[in-house]
Amino acid sequence: MAKPDMGKAKELTGADRYKAGVLEYKVMGYWQPDYVPKETDVIALFRITPQPGVAADEAAAAVAGESSTATWTVVWTDRLTAADLYRAKAFRVDPVPNSPDQFFAYIAYDMDLFEPDSIANLTASIIGNVFGFKAVKALRLEDMRIPVAYLKTFQGPPTGVMVERERLDKFGRPLLGATTKPKLGLSGRNYGRVVYEALKGGLDFTKDDENINSQPFMHWRDRFLYCMEAVNRAAAATSEVKGHYLNVTAGTCEQMIERAEFAKELGSVIIMIDLVLGYSAIQTISKWARKNDMILHLHRAGNSTYSRQKNHGMNFRVICKWMRMAGVDHIHAGTVVGKLEGDPLMVKGFYDTLLQPHTDIAPELGLFFKQDWASLGKVMPVASGGIHLGQMHQLLHYLGEDVVLQFGGGTIGHPDGIQAGAEANRVALESMVQARNEGVDYLAKGPEILAKAAKSCKPLQHGLDTWKNISFNYESTDTPDFTPQVTPAR
Amino acid sequence: MTAEAAEKLPEFFDLDGEFARSNVQEVLDKLDRELVGLAPVKQRIREIAALLLVDKARRTLGLETEPPTLHMSFTGNPGTGKTTVALRMAEILKNLGYIRQGHMVSVTRDDLVGQYIGHTAPKTREVIKKAMGGVLFIDEAYYLYKPENERDYGQEAIEILLQVMENNRDDLVVILAGYANRMEIFFQSNPGFRSRIAHHIDFPDYSEGELLNIAKLMVEKQQYKLTSEAEKVLKDYIPRRMRQPHFANARSVRNAIDRAKLRQANRLFGSKNRTKLTKADLTTIEAEDLLQSRVFNAVNPDK
Amino acid sequence: MHENPRNMTQGQFSFLPPLTDDQIKAQIAYAIKKGFALSVEYTDDPHPRNTYWEMWCQPMFDTKDPAAVMLEVNECRKTWGANHYIKVQAFDNSRWRESVAMSFIVNRPKHEPGLALARTEGPGRTMQYRVHSYATDKPRGERYK
Repeated sequence: MAKPDMGKAKELTGADRYKAGVLEYKVMGYWQPDYVPKETDVIALFRITPQPGVAADEAAAAVAGESSTATWTVVWTDRLTAADLYRAKAFRVDPVPNSPDQFFAYIAYDMDLFEPDSIANLTASIIGNVFGFKAVKALRLEDMRIPVAYLKTFQGPPTGVMVERERLDKFGRPLLGATTKPKLGLSGRNYGRVVYEALKGGLDFTKDDENINSQPFMHWRDRFLYCMEAVNRAAAATSEVKGHYLNVTAGTCEQMIERAEFAKELGSVIIMIDLVLGYSAIQTISKWARKNDMILHLHRAGNSTYSRQKNHGMNFRVICKWMRMAGVDHIHAGTVVGKLEGDPLMVKGFYDTLLQPHTDIAPELGLFFKQDWASLGKVMPVASGGIHLGQMHQLLHYLGEDVVLQFGGGTIGHPDGIQAGAEANRVALESMVQARNEGVDYLAKGPEILAKAAKSCKPLQHGLDTWKNISFNYESTDTPDFTPQVTPAR
Repeated sequence: MTAEAAEKLPEFFDLDGEFARSNVQEVLDKLDRELVGLAPVKQRIREIAALLLVDKARRTLGLETEPPTLHMSFTGNPGTGKTTVALRMAEILKNLGYIRQGHMVSVTRDDLVGQYIGHTAPKTREVIKKAMGGVLFIDEAYYLYKPENERDYGQEAIEILLQVMENNRDDLVVILAGYANRMEIFFQSNPGFRSRIAHHIDFPDYSEGELLNIAKLMVEKQQYKLTSEAEKVLKDYIPRRMRQPHFANARSVRNAIDRAKLRQANRLFGSKNRTKLTKADLTTIEAEDLLQSRVFNAVNPDK
Repeated sequence: MHENPRNMTQGQFSFLPPLTDDQIKAQIAYAIKKGFALSVEYTDDPHPRNTYWEMWCQPMFDTKDPAAVMLEVNECRKTWGANHYIKVQAFDNSRWRESVAMSFIVNRPKHEPGLALARTEGPGRTMQYRVHSYATDKPRGERYK
C-alpha cells in the first residue's frame, strides 16, 4: 500500500543538486508540500497507482517531474535556466477513499510552461510521456484548474448556447435531434430522406454519425447536397429553423476546411467534427466556425478508449474543459439513463463544466477545483445513445433545459414512420416542459403526463407502447470517489 | 355536478379551523392596534370576512354560489383610516384566497388619466397591470369624472376601469375612496360604478376622545412623553383644531405632534444646559411646545 | 403515412393542442416566479428568420400577476387575433443568459397558408434556397383574406 509520506524532503541545492548521477525526484524539487499555488498556475489532479514499494510523495514528484522538466538523470544544463520556476511541483497527496493502492496528487505548473491558445501544447506536457512512465503502475488525469489568465488566451465556443438559441429562435426547452441510421451504407438520396422526415416531423436537428465522412457508398458532396435539400424543405414546411450536423471530418485539415466551406455555401447553420481529428484540427475549425457564423458540433468519438477505466487514462471532464477552451458548441456528454457509460453525478459534473460560468469544489460530482470560466461561452451538452421518449421526465430532470436530446433509434425506429417518431418525441418533450412549468412533480408523475399527452397524439402512444420496458441498468465503471455523507437515523 | 364529483365532496366544513388557518384574526388584531376607535368600520370588515369564509364553505360543500363581487367604496373625511383599512383588506382577501398576491396599488386621477389623445388607455392599463392580483385603491375617485369638460380623458379611464371590474373580478379588487357627499354625486352620474360595488363602508370622523387617544399613541410610539401640563393643553387643542378649516382627523393630529417635536428641538437648542442633555430632556414635550400653535392664537392664525 | 399536422411550429408548445387561457396563465406564472420580463408580440409573417415581430406593448418588467399579461394578450387578440400569430415571450436578464427564456404561441390566424420553397440551381448541382411566406405576397393588412 502506498503510504503518503507527508514529510518534507531534504531538498538539495547548488552544486550538490546538480552533481551528475541519479537522484530521487522528491529531492530534485518536484515535491514541495509547502508550496502555495499561484493564481496563475495550472493545477492538475492525478490519480496515481504507484509500483509496489514507491512512496506516494516520490511517485507524485516523479509524475510532476516527467510532466515538466525532468529527465531520468541530472543534467547540468538545468543551471542555465530558472529551473525552479519551470519545475512542476507536487504539493499535496490525498488518499483515495476505498482504494488503498491509489492516491490523488495535486501538481502545480507555472503558466509559462505552456504556449497560449494551444491545447496541443498543454496536453503534450500534462498527458505526454508521463503516462508511460514505469514508476507508476497506472495514472489517470482526473481534473485540472486552468487559471483565468491562461483561459483568456483561448477563443472558447465559436457560438455558445445563448447565441445558438437566438440564431435558431428556440427557447425554453431542450433541443431535439436524431442521428441518421443506419450509420453506414445509405446512399446520399436515401440519407436525405431520413433527414427530411425527422426534421419535418418536429426535430430541430439531425446528425451525421461519427464515421460518416466520404466513403464509397456516399461521397461527402452528395451527402451535403441531399441533406440541405431536406433541411430547407423541412424549414419551409414547419416555419422553423432546422439544421443537419454535416460532418466535415477528413484526412487533412485542407479537406476539412473545403467541406466546411461547402456547407457554408449551401446555407447550413451547423457542421460537425469528431474528437479523433486531434486538438490542432479542432482549434483550426473552431476559429473557422467563429469567423463564418457556424455552430460547431463535436462527436466525442474515441474518448472511451482513455476515459472509461477508473485507474488509467483521463476523466472525460478534462476533455470537457479542453473542448470548452479549444472551442466547440456541442459535445456529447452523457445521458444518465441511456445505453452509454454515465453515472448521474459524474454526468452532472460534466454538464456543469460545460455550462456554468463558475464551478465550485464538489468532490461528489468529481469537481476537485474551483474554476472561473473567464467569460468563455457555454457549450451545449448533447445526450445521445439509447434514450427514448418514455424517459422524457428523467431526461428533463437530470439534464435540464440546455441540452440537445438525440433520439436516433427512438425516432427512426418508430412503428408509424420517421415523422411520427419525431412528432412523438416533440409532443413528449413539450408536454413535460409544460408540466414542469406548471409546477407539477413531473419526475414522479412522468408516465402519467406522457399517457395524458398521448391521448391527443397517436404516435406518442405507439412510441410508449413500443419502448415502455427498455432501460439500460448497468453499473457505471466511472463513478465518483466521494459520496455525500449520510448520517444514519438513530 | 356529476354524481361522482358529488361523492367526493366532504361532509363537513370546519369554519373555526379555516378561520384559524387564514390568519384573519391576526390581521384584525393588527388593525385594532393600528387604528383607535372606528368600531363600525371594523365591524363591517369582520362581516365581510365572515361572508367570504361562509362563501368558501358553501363552495367546498358543493352548494350553488356566485363568485362574490368584492369591489368596495370607502367614504369618509381625510385622515379617517381609509388607506390603512384598505391595506388590511388586501391582506384579508389574500389570506382567504380571493386575490392571489395581496399587494395594494394606490393611485389618484393623475396616475390614470393622460394629457393628450391616446395617452390615457395605456396609462390606465399600466396601473391596472401593476395592481393585478391585488387591490387597486383609487383615492378621491370622483376627480375621474369632470362633467364640465366634454372632452375630458377621465371618461376613457372610467370605461376601462368598468370593463376590468366586470371581466377581471377574479384578478383585481377595486376600492374607490373619497368624501361621502362627492362620492354620492359621482355614483349618481356613473351608475356603472355603483352597480359593480358590493360593499360601501362609511368612515366616521373621530370623536374628541378618540383623537386624544390617537395622539397619545403616536407620542408613545415615537418614544416621547407629554408632561401632565402638556396633556391638558393637548386636550384643549383638539376641539379647537376640529373647528378650524382643513381639519383632517388623525392626519391633523399627526401634524400637530410633528410640529410640537419641531418646537421641542428648537427649545432644546436655546436652553442653557444644551451641552448636558439627558434622556428625559430629549423625550419630554412641554406645554409650551404645544401652546405656540396657531390654534391658540385666533388673532393671527399664521403664526 | 403519418404527417406532421401543422405548418407553423415555432415556440415551446406548438405540438400540443392550443393552450387554454388557464394554461397560458400557468406558464406566465412560472415566468413571473423566475423573475422574467414578459412581452406580447404579433406578426402575419411566419418566416423562420422573421426575428422582429411587432411589439404589442412595452415588455412587462414588474408584473406581479399573470392576469396583467393576460390582459394584454386579450387586447392584442381583439385587435390582431383574426389574422395574426401572437406569441408571449419571457426575457431573463440574469448574467450569462440575458436573452429570451420562453417563447410560445398564444394565437394563430384562422387560415395558415405557410411558406413556399423556391430553388435556384447553381453550378455543380448546388442549390440556393429561398423560403418565402405566402402571406407577404399582399401588403400588410390585406393578408389572409
